This record gives sequence, structure tokens and C-alpha cells, in this order.
Amino acid sequence: MEGGPIRSMALFRRAQGTADPAKRIPLAMPGLRACGVSYHYSQQRVLHQITFHLRPGSLTALVGPNGAGKSTLLHLLQAQLQPSAGAVELDGVPVQRCRRRIALMPQKGEIDWHFPITVAEFAGLGRLTSPRPGCCDVDGALQRVGLGAMAGKRLDQLSGGQQQRALLGRTLVQPAEVLLLDEPCAAIDPPSRQLLLGLMRQLSDAGLTLLVSSHDWGPALNAYDRVLVLDQVLRADGTPDQVRHALDDVTMGNHYCG
Amino acid sequence: MSWWILPLLLALLTGALCPISGTLLIVQGRVMQANLISHAVLPGLALAVAFGLPTSVGGLLSSLLGALVAERLLDGTRHSTAHHGAVMNTVLAGFLGLGVLLVPLLGIRIDLEATLFGDLLLTRPVDLLQTGGSLLLQGLFFAACYRPLVFLGVDPVGAAASGLPLRALQLALAGITAFVVVSSMAAVGVVLVIGLMCAPALFGLAGATSLGQAAFRASATGMVLSGGGFLLALLLNLPPGPLIGVLCVGLLVVWRGWSFHR
Repeated sequence: MEGGPIRSMALFRRAQGTADPAKRIPLAMPGLRACGVSYHYSQQRVLHQITFHLRPGSLTALVGPNGAGKSTLLHLLQAQLQPSAGAVELDGVPVQRCRRRIALMPQKGEIDWHFPITVAEFAGLGRLTSPRPGCCDVDGALQRVGLGAMAGKRLDQLSGGQQQRALLGRTLVQPAEVLLLDEPCAAIDPPSRQLLLGLMRQLSDAGLTLLVSSHDWGPALNAYDRVLVLDQVLRADGTPDQVRHALDDVTMGNHYCG
Repeated sequence: MSWWILPLLLALLTGALCPISGTLLIVQGRVMQANLISHAVLPGLALAVAFGLPTSVGGLLSSLLGALVAERLLDGTRHSTAHHGAVMNTVLAGFLGLGVLLVPLLGIRIDLEATLFGDLLLTRPVDLLQTGGSLLLQGLFFAACYRPLVFLGVDPVGAAASGLPLRALQLALAGITAFVVVSSMAAVGVVLVIGLMCAPALFGLAGATSLGQAAFRASATGMVLSGGGFLLALLLNLPPGPLIGVLCVGLLVVWRGWSFHR
């Protein structure tokens, strides 16, 4: 199933008129766009005037300290929350009207890992609400995340890193073009982290748009095309080097990435 | 037909019915709501007796009202589990108190002991029909909403993100729970029903690889506890409802002890 995402994205590109991304006729700013997005909760400012645009096929890190509003922003981008001001659009369409084109992988803590369910059934939930095929079928997604041999195991029999990969596997099964991943690399060992980063790169190379909230600040940040630094407002936006330069030193990195 | 056949059949049906509901409620984190629903039956029961209506209808409506009042009080704000439990228990106490108050106020007579703890020996054929209907309804709900229920249980955030009608699903679950509670009143009463919902469900959930498997195992365990409890009560000349409640705790104690020993 190594060609799973590519198959899906080829269909996506054909739907846009050509199989060659270089020759594709640009739509009105394709990709995910947040425009002046603010969010308040109980009169408390959580996010203020967030504006950015993610192009198709990009791999972007969203970094910031705890409480910076990273998870809230991801939920706003997937239309689970309504912004107090501003708008979010995918290919010029308000996300409320196309939320199934955007998949959100929640944080590990949101899942009941003791639920009586096998890894394969868990991954299959990704296709529950849409008959359209996703990047991969269940077997393909589990192969991609390295859990093909664990398909029949209960979720709570997996290690922490394997559970993160199972979550990503479920996200891959969803028929989405934009993947929002909420701290997929949290609390996992370096080999699992490398595997996940490599997989995310494959997916973005295949044309999917990925926004990944992360606490990485060191060399791992180089795995991303672009970095957004969030602390209620957008503090920095650029390539990893540009952002490091803009924030100037490691101390700032420690502050923004905990 | 021997006099004990009907009660035994009702005990078996109730034993099959309650743990399925309990399994769903445990994995959805809504056991407290089931406890509230079971106690909120009383005011509706009293009103139904006073106005000559079917007691099961009164109990059903009253328990649903209790669940809706609690949901409304919790609506729109974030709560800790403790806050959630505090609101649920307060509404539970309020509805239980209201039910007890209505009995003298309306000048009616209700066998409170049988309502609270059940009395299998008073089983009528209509009780069997009602419990059988409830089992069928629950089975249909389980089959029709199986995957959304699984999604909601394992990942509420993801289920919300996928656009599932979660509110409708939760309301339907509350309705089914109320129906199960009312149908089980004759066998174990509104106080003890929670034991028959939870103990077999906890046993069924252990090591199960699917929600369906857990529910099936819980249901089979419930039938053994309930049917066995009834027969034991006959042998020992004890009230069956409370004995079934004690057996439920016994199951947990023995099972945990055995697990610890292993």
C-alpha cells in the first residue's frame, strides 16, 4: 500500500484539471486560509487576529508554549469551534461547508485507550462518516504507520508510540486533503518520532497539507517546511531558520516550546 | 405452569437486558446518568398512580425529565468530573425526594419497597412483554448505532469532528436507559438496577476486543447472576432483588481477587 496517498492525491489533482501539480491551474488561493481569526472564551482572549495561508503539499509546524492556543486553533481550522472574529476557508470555501475535507488528529489524552476495540477497528472509524476513500484503506494505513502486524490487538496493548501511530493511521483513512495533527510526537521515543516525521513528509510530498502542533524546537524542527510560532497571537512565521533567527535565541525557543 | 416460571423468565430477561445498557453507559462515561434516571422514576410513578395512567409511562417520562434537567444544568460550561457528579446527585436526590413527597400529598398508596428493591414474585405476563420489548428495542438501537457509539466512546473529540449527530445519539441513549430502568423495576427495583447494569458490564469489558463482544459477555453474565440469584433466593427464602444486588458485588470481589491472585 505504499502508493496509497499518491493514488488519492492523483484523483484530487485530476479533479482540479491536471495530474501535474506544476501545470495545475490555480484556484482562488488553493489551500487552507485563516484570516484575522480571533477566539474568546468567557471574555478571555485565547487567540487574536491570526492570519496565515497553508499551500497544498506543505508540512508546517505550529509551535508555542502550553496555553498558547494551539489546540484551539486546530479546532477552529476544522470548524469544531466558531471564531469570535475572522474566517477560515479551504480553497475559498468556508470550512463549515467542507469540514470533512479536513481531518483532525486529537491529542493522545483525548482517547479512551482502554476502550474494547482492536487497532484495525479503531483505524476504520476514520471512514465512518464518508463513503469516499481516504489516502489509504485500513490495512494500507496500518502498514504505513508500521502497525500492520498489530491490527488484531487491543488498543491498550500498544505502547505509547504505537498508540500515536494508530491515531495517525485512523487519520490517514479519512478522506481528507488537510491533516491537522495535535502533538503527534508528544511523549514518544526518538525512533517513533523519526518514523512519524518521515511519514508526514511522505504525505506532504504526495500533496496533502499538514499542520502539526509540536513542542519540538531543536533539530527536529528542520523536518518542517515552515514554522508558525503561536502565543495567542502569531509571533513568527517562516522557515525553521527564519523563525529561529526572528526569535533570535534558544531561550526564546525554550519559552515558546516549553 | 409452575408459579416460579414467570419470575424466573423475568429474572433471565432482566439479567440479559441491564448489562447491555450498562456496557454502553460505562464506555460513554454516563453511569451517573443511569443512576439519576433510575431514581427519577419515582415522581412520575406517583403521578401515574394518582391519575390512573400506566406506571411505566409515568416512570419513563419522569426519568427522562430528570436526565434533561441535569443536562440543562450542566449545559454550556466546562465542568470537572466532580462538578458533573455533584449536579447529577443533587438532581437525583431532588427527584427521589419529590417522589416520596408526592405519595402523601396525592393521597395514594405505592409499595415503595417493591419499587425500590423489586419483587420478582409479583411478576405478571405484561412485565415479561415489556422487558422483552425493551430488550428488542435496545438490540435494534445497538445494531443501528454500533459504530457511532464506538466512535463516541473511544474518541468523543474525533466523533464531534467527524460531524456525527452526537446530541441525538446521547439523547437516544438516555431514552433507552430510561426504558431499561422502567422495565427492570419489577425484578430488581430502581435502586438495585444499577448493580445489575454495572457489575456484569465491568466483567464483560475486561479483555474484550469489541464493544459487541463485551456486551454479549456482560449479558450472559447478567443472566447467570439474575437467574441464579432468583433460584438461590427461593432456596434460602430471601427477597430476590437484594440478593441479586449482593451477588453483583460478590462477582466483582471474587473476580478482582482472582485477577490479583493471577
